[in-house]
Amino acid sequence: MTTAQQWLDRISALRLPRPFKVMNVCGGHERSIAMAGLRRALPPGIELVPGPGCPVCVCPEEAVYQAIRLALSEKVILVAFGDMLRVPVNVPKGEIRSLEEARAAGGEVLPIASPREAVEIARYNRDRRVVFFAAGFETTTAPVAAMLMEGVPDNLSVLLAGRRTWPAVAMLLESETPGFDALVAPGHVSTVMGPEEWAFVPERHGIPAAVAGFTAESLIAALHSVLRQLIEGCCFLDNCYPELVRPGGNSAARRQLDAVMEVVDANWRGIGVIPASGFALREAFRAHDATRLYPSFADAARKRAGQMPPGCDCARVVLGRIYPDECVLYGRACTPRTPVGPCMVSDEGACRIWWSSGVRTARKRVLEPSAS
Amino acid sequence: MCLAIPMEVVAIDGMAARCRAKGIERQVSLFLLQDEPVAAGDFVMVHVGYAIQKVTPQEARSAWELYDEMLAFRSEGSHA
Repeated sequence: MTTAQQWLDRISALRLPRPFKVMNVCGGHERSIAMAGLRRALPPGIELVPGPGCPVCVCPEEAVYQAIRLALSEKVILVAFGDMLRVPVNVPKGEIRSLEEARAAGGEVLPIASPREAVEIARYNRDRRVVFFAAGFETTTAPVAAMLMEGVPDNLSVLLAGRRTWPAVAMLLESETPGFDALVAPGHVSTVMGPEEWAFVPERHGIPAAVAGFTAESLIAALHSVLRQLIEGCCFLDNCYPELVRPGGNSAARRQLDAVMEVVDANWRGIGVIPASGFALREAFRAHDATRLYPSFADAARKRAGQMPPGCDCARVVLGRIYPDECVLYGRACTPRTPVGPCMVSDEGACRIWWSSGVRTARKRVLEPSAS
Repeated sequence: MCLAIPMEVVAIDGMAARCRAKGIERQVSLFLLQDEPVAAGDFVMVHVGYAIQKVTPQEARSAWELYDEMLAFRSEGSHA
């Protein structure tokens, strides 16, 4: 097997005709890149930019607000993946701004690590209504679909904020300034959905792409693949994670996703509606659809509803328009201890990952426009 | 949230498997792996309590090496 160092040597031997910018769209990839110090190890002229890889970061602000209100006003037991609990909504000072604060105020909010725990909590609390606030990309949404297929107690419903990864990349590529020359495609999304979902990147947009796993070897192999494609002026979809990513993905998982959910246009926090980028429960599962079972607490008069917190540049970080440390709040008002925006809250948020890797101060840095 | 952890299947009961990694055992759902035969001794990638794909023992090992580094990295990060 080729080691990470051997792959790096091969990359260093490449003759780059111009600087290239490569985007990844997975928090796990970004964590591996930051942890391995990969940016520092690469020769000049290669930029790695984190893109839309954090489902918690783009979970609609309105959905978080709804979950908070369900816990407080409807007195449900609200369960959610732990990452969601500290995500702030925009409310006047002094009001409850996160699920964590809702719990402190007496709301029953429980962090879970698996949809199976949601089922167990509902079984143990038959006399209570339980709402599972489920944000996530395909890798996480497929297990939510499996949970519903397998059958859940009557008192359990799902407030779904499932998102599809590739439509966000498609939106960037269709914009006038995609901001990247090549793509490292996500490993576990592709494990579930199949690598074919990313074929549009080279085929429709002429942008090289490679699916990567999470080890340094796999990531650098993918990087080497797309750089070679750029140099040689060809492009195709490479698979540098064949151990898990097989043609067609996981057929049972895709079947269950399709049986339980339909694809809908969906809102991404701070970004707006992206066509065909979300999941909604199908009619057959309406008895477990929290959006149908509970009143909407949407309030048109609420200031900054749907937006990122004031001053927070998370949306541009998510889109790869700026690097985390280019946000003026980074490391000043916004740290993991006192996060302002979701990118500093979630373990998959680029700001949180950069902070963990030792980047502690914001810096003035102007991104070079992509040469493409 | 897309982090998945490789585990060894110890025993299977219908759609539920008892899986082990690093001496820790967990109940894992095989509901998403219905199209693949899974047996005790196999390795699976587990994400939020669901096996999403079978893996080879070698792949499981290299993934675990990565996660060991990652855990060390995270604890450094949170203490710094």
